[in-house]
Amino acid sequence: MQILIKNFGVNGLYVKAGGRLDLDSAVEYGTSIKDAIYDAQEDIKEVILDFSEVTFISSFGLKVILELYKELKASDGTLKLTKVPEQIQASFKMVGFDKFLTIE
Amino acid sequence: MFNDIKRQMMAVVLSMFFALSTVLCIYSYIFLKNTKALLIDSYSHSISVFAESINKDVLRIENNSEDLALMGSLFYKAGQDKTIAKSAITKIFENYENSLGGGIWFEPYVVDKNQKRFCIYAYRNDQNKVVLDENFNSEEYNYHNQSWYRQIISAITKEHNTAWSLPYKENQGSEKLMITAGTGIYSDDGKLIGISTVDWEVNNIFLEISKMKPTENSFALFADKNRDYILVSNDPYLNNRNLIGKSLSNVPWYRDNLKQVTYYKYHNKKFIPYVKNLDNGMFLIINVPKMELFRNALIHVTILSIILMLISTLIAYLLHYILKKYIIRPIDKLMLIADKISKGEDVHITIAKPEEFAELASTFDKMTYDIKSITKERERINSELSIAKSIQASSLPSVFPPFPDKKEFDIFASMQPAKEVGGDFYDFCFIDDENFMFLIADVSGKGVPAALFMMTCKTLMNNMSQIKYSPKELIEAVNRKICSTNKQGLFVTMFVGIVNINTGKVTYINCGHNQPLIKTKDSEYKYMDLDSNIVLGAFEDAEFKVYESQLNAGDTIFTYTDGITEALNKENEMYGEERLKDCLNKFHDNDINNIAKAVREDIHNYTENVPQSDDLTMLIFKYNNKTVKKIFKDMAIKENYKSFYTWLHNNCQEWGLNDVLVNKLDMCCEELYANITFYSYPPKVGMIEVLMCKSDKQIILQFEDEGVPYNPLEKQDPDITLPPEQRELGGLGIFMVKEMADDIKYQHVGNRNVLTIIFNNEDN
Repeated sequence: MQILIKNFGVNGLYVKAGGRLDLDSAVEYGTSIKDAIYDAQEDIKEVILDFSEVTFISSFGLKVILELYKELKASDGTLKLTKVPEQIQASFKMVGFDKFLTIE
Repeated sequence: MFNDIKRQMMAVVLSMFFALSTVLCIYSYIFLKNTKALLIDSYSHSISVFAESINKDVLRIENNSEDLALMGSLFYKAGQDKTIAKSAITKIFENYENSLGGGIWFEPYVVDKNQKRFCIYAYRNDQNKVVLDENFNSEEYNYHNQSWYRQIISAITKEHNTAWSLPYKENQGSEKLMITAGTGIYSDDGKLIGISTVDWEVNNIFLEISKMKPTENSFALFADKNRDYILVSNDPYLNNRNLIGKSLSNVPWYRDNLKQVTYYKYHNKKFIPYVKNLDNGMFLIINVPKMELFRNALIHVTILSIILMLISTLIAYLLHYILKKYIIRPIDKLMLIADKISKGEDVHITIAKPEEFAELASTFDKMTYDIKSITKERERINSELSIAKSIQASSLPSVFPPFPDKKEFDIFASMQPAKEVGGDFYDFCFIDDENFMFLIADVSGKGVPAALFMMTCKTLMNNMSQIKYSPKELIEAVNRKICSTNKQGLFVTMFVGIVNINTGKVTYINCGHNQPLIKTKDSEYKYMDLDSNIVLGAFEDAEFKVYESQLNAGDTIFTYTDGITEALNKENEMYGEERLKDCLNKFHDNDINNIAKAVREDIHNYTENVPQSDDLTMLIFKYNNKTVKKIFKDMAIKENYKSFYTWLHNNCQEWGLNDVLVNKLDMCCEELYANITFYSYPPKVGMIEVLMCKSDKQIILQFEDEGVPYNPLEKQDPDITLPPEQRELGGLGIFMVKEMADDIKYQHVGNRNVLTIIFNNEDN
């Protein structure tokens, strides 16, 4: 999986991943984002996950998203998902993530 | 020849009758022959006696003649006292009772030189008094010229020689027909000087001879053969009186050799001639008609024969009557009663005599009673057996198709039982939603024990299949149960097939049963090559080998019992496996319901009218589900996940599944793969096997591992309504699987966790 992480603004983080977000890649994906948050000079308050290139998300991917959401929430940050393909939106809906995730 | 006792007895009686008759006939014949010989002899004897008496008469006359000649000679020599001579002659003739008369006659001038003729003649007058007749000295008579005188004197050659005249009629005195015996009177110098005569009246001879009439129509001939004249004949066919003195050639039947002739034919009658020669050259023939001679004998023999025949007929009839009364009638009666009894009538039999039959009748009566009770008992047993048979038959599934809504397979089975309650059976059932078990079996032995044992086996298989055993565990458990309850040493051969109707995965177990046939897409029917296990019920701890295979749409399994291949024809040859295979391959109907019928007909044509000796049982299973199947098998480690999902995606692409479905499959498979990888084996490492099938309407995925038994479906679902802060990170995956799959189930079979998820693939 290819992960592109960019900072935007003062405390914003833009993550764009391509491919499958699954058993194989989810941990790497989560770890990469968390590392980026910790590595940032400023507190990251807003994380935007670009899903335009994500083809598949599994429970492992969802788990990573939930984990990320909880962490950001604890530090008053927000998690935004953008360009989520329909299929993946359906997955979110299935597990009730649509109720708290901000999906643009 | 005769099959029934009546005719046999009649034959015996008749043959006895004929034998007796034959003996009688032979006896009568011999008797008649002997009697004839005896009769001939006895007549011969009596005729001889008679002839002897005639001979005596002749001899006596000749003696008398000689006496007279002697007297004549004395008279001549001793002074010729005529008075003395006359009285002497008279005296002599008083003693000569059978002669008419006689005297002495001298040659001319011998007694007196002046007197030409001198004779003394005495005769017996009508008052039976002997008187002298002087008239013979007369000139008119001139005895020297009389034929008798000339005949006698010319015939005499020497002294004491007696000669006989021919018959002549005396024209002097009595005028009777007579013959005369004469003896020469000689002088001392040996000169013939006269003759003595003794007359024998022919009529007397005739009367005498006529006495000899042994039978009514017998007749006599008295004649002189040397001089060829007839003296007496009473032949009824001739004018006898004119024959006297005539030649024998006047007698038509007469022949010289008549003495050697046993009989001759005369006027169409047979005559037996009795020829007796007399001393003086005469002979007497008595002719007896043969018929008359033997008539009495014949009559006697005939009467005797008739009496004997009557007696033998009577004996035969009596014998027949006795046989009929004492043997045939009782037998008939017994037969009649037996017939009635066989028709179910309630009859008693009583025979008073003879004792043997009375005893037989009472035994028969008792037997009838026994048979009735036995029959009743047998009927009861039979009805119970037929009930048992129908229970047994009804215990086998008989409605086809049994699962009309299941299009994944067809099954058809039939059992055509032999006469007895047999030991064949078949069965099928769903072990669970997708595993279908079918089996065919043959219990050793026949009759009620086999039937009961069969029911036990069937019930055991049926019940125990519902326990979540693997096929191997199932069959071994059933075997143990059978062994533990089988005290009679019965056993059962069985073929079991367990098919996953969705995937076509099949497990076979063959426990000593006939190898089934299988037809696949690529080949005709051929016998399976499964290693046969031991029969069920033999050893409690027996291990059973199972075979796994894959069925494709159209594959057909034909199972049967040995009643099929061992059906015998007239030549005692078995139907055989080759013929069965050929029959199946000749039959191209895809409807399995017709296969059993075709096989049955083929067997029927083969065996013709030989009665069926064993059950004909068949079970045919056809798999219809067009399943496409892929298998992934590798170590259950995270590193292999990539190759797993590549395999999954390739399958989806190959089968052209839509994105939504692919996404779902992807998510679910990942979850289940991860579950096995992270929770089933660690800290050890084990295998994961995934079967992915595409049938007409479904995608089926089956995950199998040999790790810790764990049913993920029992895990509680996460509450997805909770706010994210309270939500747990785990448990999402299995929840999603449950959400997405159209069907999901978990089984722990043997030592394997088997999780199956099914997705509908409607738009395909």
